Amino acid sequence: MLRYLFHRLWQSAVTLVLASIVVFAGVRALPGDPALAMAGEEADPQTLAAVRAQLGLDDPLPVQYVKFLGHALTGDFGRSTRTGTPVSEMIGATLPVTVQLAVYAMLIAVLAGLLLGVIAAVFRGRWPEWAANGFSLFALSVPTFWLGILAVVYLSVQLGWFPASGYVSPLKDPVRGLYYLTLPAVILGLSHAAVVQRQTRGSMVGTLTADFVRTARAKGLGRGAVIVRYGLRNSLIVVTTIVGLQLGGLIAGAVVTERIFSLPGIGKLTLDSVFSRDYPVIQAVVLVITFAYIVINLLVDVLYTVIDPRVRVSGRAS
Amino acid sequence: MAAVTVALTACVPVQHVASTAEHTDDYGTPVGAQAVQAGGELVMGLSSEPDRLDPTTSSSLYTRYVMSTICEKLYDLGPSGQIVPQLATGLPTTSPDGLTVTIPVRTGITFADGTPFDAAAVRTSLQRHLTLKGSQRTSEMGPVRSVEAPDASHVVMTFKKPFAPITAALADRAGMILSPAALAAEGANFGDHPVCVGPFKFVKRVPQTSIEVERDPRYYDAAQVHLDRILYRIMPDANIRAANLRSGDIHVADTISPQDVDALAKDPDLKVLQSPSLGYQGVTINTGNVDGAGTPPKPIDTPLARDPRVRQAFASSVDRQTLVDTVFNNWFDVACSPIAPQSPYATPASDACPAYDPARSRQLLAEAGVPTPYTVTLQVSNTQDQLRYAQALQASVAEGGFDLKIVPVEYSTLLDVQKRGDFELLQLGWSGRIDPDGNTARFLSTGSGGNYGGFSSAELDDLLSRAARAPGTAERADLYGRATQVIQRENPIVYTYRLRNLTVHSARVAGVEVYSDGVVRLGRAAFRADQEG
Repeated sequence: MLRYLFHRLWQSAVTLVLASIVVFAGVRALPGDPALAMAGEEADPQTLAAVRAQLGLDDPLPVQYVKFLGHALTGDFGRSTRTGTPVSEMIGATLPVTVQLAVYAMLIAVLAGLLLGVIAAVFRGRWPEWAANGFSLFALSVPTFWLGILAVVYLSVQLGWFPASGYVSPLKDPVRGLYYLTLPAVILGLSHAAVVQRQTRGSMVGTLTADFVRTARAKGLGRGAVIVRYGLRNSLIVVTTIVGLQLGGLIAGAVVTERIFSLPGIGKLTLDSVFSRDYPVIQAVVLVITFAYIVINLLVDVLYTVIDPRVRVSGRAS
Repeated sequence: MAAVTVALTACVPVQHVASTAEHTDDYGTPVGAQAVQAGGELVMGLSSEPDRLDPTTSSSLYTRYVMSTICEKLYDLGPSGQIVPQLATGLPTTSPDGLTVTIPVRTGITFADGTPFDAAAVRTSLQRHLTLKGSQRTSEMGPVRSVEAPDASHVVMTFKKPFAPITAALADRAGMILSPAALAAEGANFGDHPVCVGPFKFVKRVPQTSIEVERDPRYYDAAQVHLDRILYRIMPDANIRAANLRSGDIHVADTISPQDVDALAKDPDLKVLQSPSLGYQGVTINTGNVDGAGTPPKPIDTPLARDPRVRQAFASSVDRQTLVDTVFNNWFDVACSPIAPQSPYATPASDACPAYDPARSRQLLAEAGVPTPYTVTLQVSNTQDQLRYAQALQASVAEGGFDLKIVPVEYSTLLDVQKRGDFELLQLGWSGRIDPDGNTARFLSTGSGGNYGGFSSAELDDLLSRAARAPGTAERADLYGRATQVIQRENPIVYTYRLRNLTVHSARVAGVEVYSDGVVRLGRAAFRADQEG
């Protein structure tokens, strides 16, 4: 187990370094001049030169990279070229919002997906299955941004049930915080709920028709017990995998959702920084997201070994 | 000379839109005698995030919105476009040779941190604007030789050459005065915690999210300040701002799209303010920018770049009025010159507009020996409004014999393209300055850093530099009128339309004002007494 962990940690570190190089090079390859974006149309050549020197854009690229990495390792990502705010402060302010949104959305997705998946599997061939499958087809096909805009127009503006935008930290005021986050989390979680529903249904159908279940039923085990003890338990490994895989999609979805609901999360930060060519912010944000992604994958892998010991065995064999 | 005659005969006075009642200017009404509540928090949806909250290094228009509540200036713009004293006590007096400008300033008032405000503090700020590394103000302030504070209530600026636009510059960010104590403590990071004289003082900024200010009890005119707090929330998406106005989550929003404003205007709970802009939108034609803006122009061997007749053909095939009416639902105005019609420097000559005449365009192309359709490429920002306009323009100039290819480019890349001179035609706008010098010389004088088209005309250079030095408004207006005639003959920039500053606020709020500089002024706004707060 320890060796497996060590192996995965080492892999993660290499991935992170490679990612930092790709991010650094990618940001440099963006068209547009960050000094110009910062100084604005009105800047004269002297101002532009001063800004360039200040941003360290005069150095050769490898030097810029090494400086960037050195600072990043100490948690210093520099200051935003646009607002002059320290980047670490900006990430510190926006990351918790996205994490809360993502966790809330995933929670909704897993609960709704599991429930609908079980219903679809248990009521195979009858109307509840059609309804559940219909929902997942809808949730997967409809783009998040469109649903989000509809939700704002009808649920916020016309009916006034939810705020159209804004954010209150659930840590400070849990009731208001959840109230502000609910609509965005539902919108963001919908397509993920659909994926969870489909996988749960598939896995449950497989389990419920398996020989060992038939044997258990024959021995007198109740229907509810079979569903929970065999069906759900087996579905959990599928759901864990999906949750891991979907977290990446969740961050991508958060960019859109945060923009629609004007949520001050890291997705909105990413988008705004790209538009203003805010190099230090883009680099730091993408690195932090990559880091989070790697850590989540690591956790999911470790979680597997807890749920399904066979993974641990094959892990050691490789 | 023939070209001049052609240009003059092709001009007709500007046609104003047959405006309906809802399209007349409304700059907002001061609170005055209206019954208002004391206190309350006003929330404004800002269309773009301000950059540094530092008047010296800021380059964003939106910073001015926030700064208008926390950082007063030596001069301000009045509702009718005139310059009025704010931290100064009167308009500046200029010596007969135009080289010495004396500004009387207030005394006996304090900055938000308690530091006394006086001429020495003004001098410190002006010096910083002039000399700080990365300052955006240096060129706006002209050829300054020195800034002195001979006594507590007077500041004396001396210039190497007369510079008439200085008063207008001091009515913008260059005239914002910063607390010397805060400058000493924060230095280049002043923008993290800005301290000035203003009805409100800075509380905190959450990057990408909001900026909060609260009422400053030390403010000299605190009796006129009603709100406790203003929260600026950053909401770049126009649809989102409109939705939040309707749901009541925000009370004020700027830069409403012409696509949304008709619907919002019908809402009885909302009120639309509109003021014409001092800026313009236009198509820059690359006539000589080969090595980048600011470098000496070099010839470009295309009919469009070398032959003024071809550019004039392009200008006469732009059906300005129809384009504005159809693309912007009649909310914006046509633009034909760099001088806005409501500016004190506007004259019949600067208001004159080349007529839409596609037949004349084809004739000019034939005279220039250009086979039609003549293909030209326009680079344009990839926003919805800009693309819609470009497509309508394409249809318009097709009548005049041009085959316009549209290349959408992301905004900050477009700025780069413009600077490098990597374009044939380029559509962009300018937010505008109070003084016409800031709307002309920067973009059209030979070798200027903002002369993106690489245009060069000794005649225009001479007119613009005389206009910047001339002392009287009438004399300057005449020179800008003559400059307009040269511009409309040579067409280095084909001016197309002027935005209107469309601001919408809740009917529960009084005292929101927007003048032609586009800055939404909230410092003296209040919630109405007869409404729920």
